[in-house]
Amino acid sequence: MGIIEIPIGPQHPALKEPASFKLYLEGERIAASNVTLGYNHRGVEKACEARTYIEDLYLIERVCGICSHSHSTCFISAVEEVAKLEVPKRAKYIRTIIGELERVHSHLLWLGVAAHEIGFDTLFMYSWRDREVVMDTLEMLSGNRVNYGINKIGGVRRDISEEQKEKALKAVDALEERTKYYIEIVNSETTLIGRLKDVGKLSYEDAMRLHAAGPTARASGVDRDVRRDDPYLVYDEIPFNVITDNHCDVLGRTIVRVKELIESYKIIRFALNNIPQGDIAVRSPRRIPAGEAFSRYEAPRGEDVHYVRGNGTDKPERVKLRAPTLANFASITYMLNGGYLADAPIVIAAIDPCFSCTDRSISIKHIDSGKENIMDWESLRQYSIDWHKNRGFNAKNIQLKVK
Amino acid sequence: MNNEEKIKTELLQKFPYLEGKCDIIRQRRITVEVDKNNLIGLLSYLFNDLKFDYLCTITGLDIGDNLQFIYHVANKDGIVINVKTNVPKSDPVISTVTGIYNGATFYERELEDLLGARVEGLPEGRHYPLPDNWPKGQYPLRKDWKLENMNQQTKTEE
Amino acid sequence: MVIDKIVNWARIKSPWIIHFNTGACNACDIEILASLTPVYDLERFGVLLKGTPRHADVLVCSGPVTLQTKERLIRIYNQMAEPKFVVAVGTCACSGGVFHDCYCVSGGIDSVIPVSAYIPGCPARPEAIIDGVVKLLNSLKK
Repeated sequence: MGIIEIPIGPQHPALKEPASFKLYLEGERIAASNVTLGYNHRGVEKACEARTYIEDLYLIERVCGICSHSHSTCFISAVEEVAKLEVPKRAKYIRTIIGELERVHSHLLWLGVAAHEIGFDTLFMYSWRDREVVMDTLEMLSGNRVNYGINKIGGVRRDISEEQKEKALKAVDALEERTKYYIEIVNSETTLIGRLKDVGKLSYEDAMRLHAAGPTARASGVDRDVRRDDPYLVYDEIPFNVITDNHCDVLGRTIVRVKELIESYKIIRFALNNIPQGDIAVRSPRRIPAGEAFSRYEAPRGEDVHYVRGNGTDKPERVKLRAPTLANFASITYMLNGGYLADAPIVIAAIDPCFSCTDRSISIKHIDSGKENIMDWESLRQYSIDWHKNRGFNAKNIQLKVK
Repeated sequence: MNNEEKIKTELLQKFPYLEGKCDIIRQRRITVEVDKNNLIGLLSYLFNDLKFDYLCTITGLDIGDNLQFIYHVANKDGIVINVKTNVPKSDPVISTVTGIYNGATFYERELEDLLGARVEGLPEGRHYPLPDNWPKGQYPLRKDWKLENMNQQTKTEE
Repeated sequence: MVIDKIVNWARIKSPWIIHFNTGACNACDIEILASLTPVYDLERFGVLLKGTPRHADVLVCSGPVTLQTKERLIRIYNQMAEPKFVVAVGTCACSGGVFHDCYCVSGGIDSVIPVSAYIPGCPARPEAIIDGVVKLLNSLKK
């Protein structure tokens, strides 16, 4: 049987971001796959060297619009370590609360996108509706829906008032109820399980070998979470569980994410109830002394790392950042191989790829092969849904409770 | 004796040449400076014996006449060792660590693209992250690189 | 004339859009998607997200354009059928924003193709996107 080559991307409506994949097919099975990254390279690292630390903070926050707080907190922790600033406890608590709310918004977003990929649009609309509750809470606390701008060197910009605290707690309660329902669906809905189980297998050994990060690794039984292993902010004071799962497939990744939502609610609730009184920021110097720091942060997608080297001026000597998606890309080609073409969309979506973080810049390549071989993401998604429909898995028929 | 000090003592016992080049910066952060010829030996010891099995990333820096590479490796307890090594800019060759850390491919491609390092033994593949039509010999993360250099080159090509 | 009027009426009642990320940080893209979901529901104006430029009347761009995206953006723009409109969503798409001096970035969308509507914000809020789209539709009535 001949091998068919199918290029996908880089422009595809579902992922919202450019990246291209080349899949080599033997019949319906994927024999080999190739991923091309770099479409989103903006050159942020170089730009950081030409700006002051304060300007960098806003630039870094815009590396990625979904995990913006992760990047800015990771960067600022490194800067504060170089500058030897002692950040007030209250500020650390506020950063933690925003960080966990961000995780909730990101995981709900992922749940929706993943549901969309398998043709389960009802869940897509449901989870995005619930996500608006988080967005409203974030807006109330920080002043903006995305790119919160809450961090500043030495602390945070805004305090949380008693009234805001009550509102946030109420929002968390409402979300928890919804999330419990989603957990029930993921664990019991046969169509969903049929679509996700044994898809995109990544064994424990391979996850370790390929340095998978975040929920992708934890769903393969890798017990790794920076919040517990290398605690930053106030995670050493907050009780929470690291969720792992032994399914090693897309179902496992889904379970890990929805269960992590529950842990995030616990963390937010604990932090809101135990937030100490005091200042929210200390004065920071304009010039940061020479020195270097390496900081890690458990972003929604996995471990985010930043390295900052200062040289005594108000501009950094070098800023290096590595987003979690890059760590997961070594695994993705591995997970695609041997699977069905129809499962490719959900496997790719399951690592929750975020290319703007990863590439930090932009460029687009032409789709340069014969016309009959071109498949855009939308048609691949449709193909996938139809293919599974013929085998009895139609996610459209799943009934959800109306709330 | 805490974990960090234990690791330091073990490292110094195994590799006496690290004397004075191994520091504990703070809790869970250790810095080691190593000659580029000893890099692979040290990293495979860290990976196999001390179980530093996760490579966070590789940072590349331009420090004047040399390029510096920092390998950030972590273990299960959250301890990170920053292994630093320098290579001269005139001959920026470093051997690959993909034999030890399988997931390092993209990080090493980044060093090649952005800093102009030559990673020996890196498997064939597309470069990353610069675009396909990026002019050769332009390494944006070098300190002496300016945007104007490239604009001139693009103009002449046009 | 009557035909023109009918076509214009149809166009205003059901503009199909295509979304293209020219290098955005994702925030605007997610907000565009959010404005199509139940809470904001842009679809009540007949707006439908399509996957290919040949079906679309409106090109919605987010993010700063780089030297490398330029080509691709022009290609997509040329593939769209006339009459076509371009909406720049977010500060980066309007002017380049924080990325204006990065080495891969050439500036806002209007440095490459003509833009009909600018929607500023970092990221542009769903309300702002809806307002921008409605204003664009109203301007077509004339």
